[in-house]
Amino acid sequence: MGKTGWAWTWFGFLLALDIAIPWFVLTHVEKMSGAFLFWTIWVVVAIISAFVIFLKWKEARQ
Amino acid sequence: MSTTFWVWFGIAIYIAVGLAIAMMARRQLGAGVSEFFLANRRVGGFVSALTYSATTYSAFMMIGLAGLTYINGVGALGFELTYLCGMFMMVFFLPRFWLVGRKYGYISPMELLSDRYQSRWVGATAAILALVFLVPYGAVQLMGIGYLMNGVSQGAIPVVAGIIIAVLCAIAWSNIAGMRSVAWTDAFQALIMIATSAAVLGVVVAALGGFGSFFAKLESAAPGLLTVPTAKGAWSINMFIGLALPWLFFLISNPQVSQRLFIPKSVTAMKQMLGGFLVFGFIYTLISVLWGFSTTLLVPGLENGDLATPTLLALPIIPMGLAIIVMIGITAAAISTIDSILLTLSSVWARDIHRGLINPKVSEEGELRVGQWVIPIMAIIAFVFAWWAAGKTGLAFMIAPLSSAASAGLLMAVPTIFGAFFWKRATASGAMVSCIVGAIVVLLFQITGWKPLGWWPGTWGFIVCVILFIGVSLATKPPREKAEEFIGYLKEKLAEGKFI
Repeated sequence: MGKTGWAWTWFGFLLALDIAIPWFVLTHVEKMSGAFLFWTIWVVVAIISAFVIFLKWKEARQ
Repeated sequence: MSTTFWVWFGIAIYIAVGLAIAMMARRQLGAGVSEFFLANRRVGGFVSALTYSATTYSAFMMIGLAGLTYINGVGALGFELTYLCGMFMMVFFLPRFWLVGRKYGYISPMELLSDRYQSRWVGATAAILALVFLVPYGAVQLMGIGYLMNGVSQGAIPVVAGIIIAVLCAIAWSNIAGMRSVAWTDAFQALIMIATSAAVLGVVVAALGGFGSFFAKLESAAPGLLTVPTAKGAWSINMFIGLALPWLFFLISNPQVSQRLFIPKSVTAMKQMLGGFLVFGFIYTLISVLWGFSTTLLVPGLENGDLATPTLLALPIIPMGLAIIVMIGITAAAISTIDSILLTLSSVWARDIHRGLINPKVSEEGELRVGQWVIPIMAIIAFVFAWWAAGKTGLAFMIAPLSSAASAGLLMAVPTIFGAFFWKRATASGAMVSCIVGAIVVLLFQITGWKPLGWWPGTWGFIVCVILFIGVSLATKPPREKAEEFIGYLKEKLAEGKFI
């Protein structure tokens, strides 16, 4: 699989976690350290992933 | 002097500064459609990031999302962060939009679709979709401003007065210098918006005894709001998907943001735009949600969540000056979204409807004139919708669900956009049938309130839309030559720029 394929797969994995963890793992944790903390860390991982990819971009000839 | 006086004074200062910035932008305004609608594709990274942020984040966040958190709890955070996670797709779409925008000179995202599918009807269909569904989204911003001014002035300023002020500002700023005035005012407003909201959150958290005490109080007073689904039954998986799915693809489905993918002046500016926006979005989302939670503790028992922020700002713990500055910050954010929507809709009408269907031989000046006329017309339609919806209560008339419902309609263009960039076999018929039938399904389900299997209108519409797009495309003839050229060009340039 090429880089684009890996990036789409990683994105799909992040989306699966978006539902799986809060609804099936943390559903009874009534604390800020539950779904609130999960979603905060989860999106930081997504943002860092995007940075890792786009920081490699360079100017292309038009 | 009374609070009402200072609110009016603050609004007057805000309008004066906004007009001054817009007039400064006008000095740099050149001739032509590309100049007016895209600032000639020469916007720097800093302004690109801020205009993208201010266009995306608006009254929806500090009023709608805070209100949704107030009523339904932590699921609101997941819903909004799902959008931010969806911005990961910018690593695919930003360079693609930007490259073909420069190569083929597209003015609107719909023009891109018309050219790629070799059918002006595809662009026109997507344009009509935008015209229909962006009106409620624009109206939502107006409602937010109305609620806010009414709340901060403690009822002295009627909701409708706030709506009228917003309409007039949006018309002026989008007409004065097009994208240039919109982007510059956006940048200024985005900075005010994040600085002031963070300041007020700081004041509120301090009043609650600091973050540790705030979180402890929240866990003790409203533990049911910290899980999904909540104790009251909100945030079922179906509700979450129904609201979050349109949000996930917001970056390509909403033309007022996807049009901005054409404007950065260089790859460096693109990187600054994306990086800046991701950081801005993360901070602003957390502020909005924590704001909503703090309101749960400070003013419990409100029936309409959209009134949570205005009520919070009217509390004695918030210094009046700070409340007014925040009110202006949120007002500015809302107006920056409306003027962007108006500008995009005017470009879409001028390029994809007027030039695309009605008068293909229209001059560039004629096209620009048509676009400038469309701005006030669309503003008046949004005003009427906002006036009608502002008095209503219930989840369907809250700012966040109403925004998401509007995006559910725009979601129907997503398979067509994916197909344009990634699927050579995609056809114009597949694009049109999927957009039209998908939009009808969404409208029908939204109007009747019908949710088979508990799935929301956007979810059903999207499923129908994807199936039709693939099925009809496979059954019809694709524009092979254009697809090869378009995708082939991208393949070459993507490799050159180390894009993926």
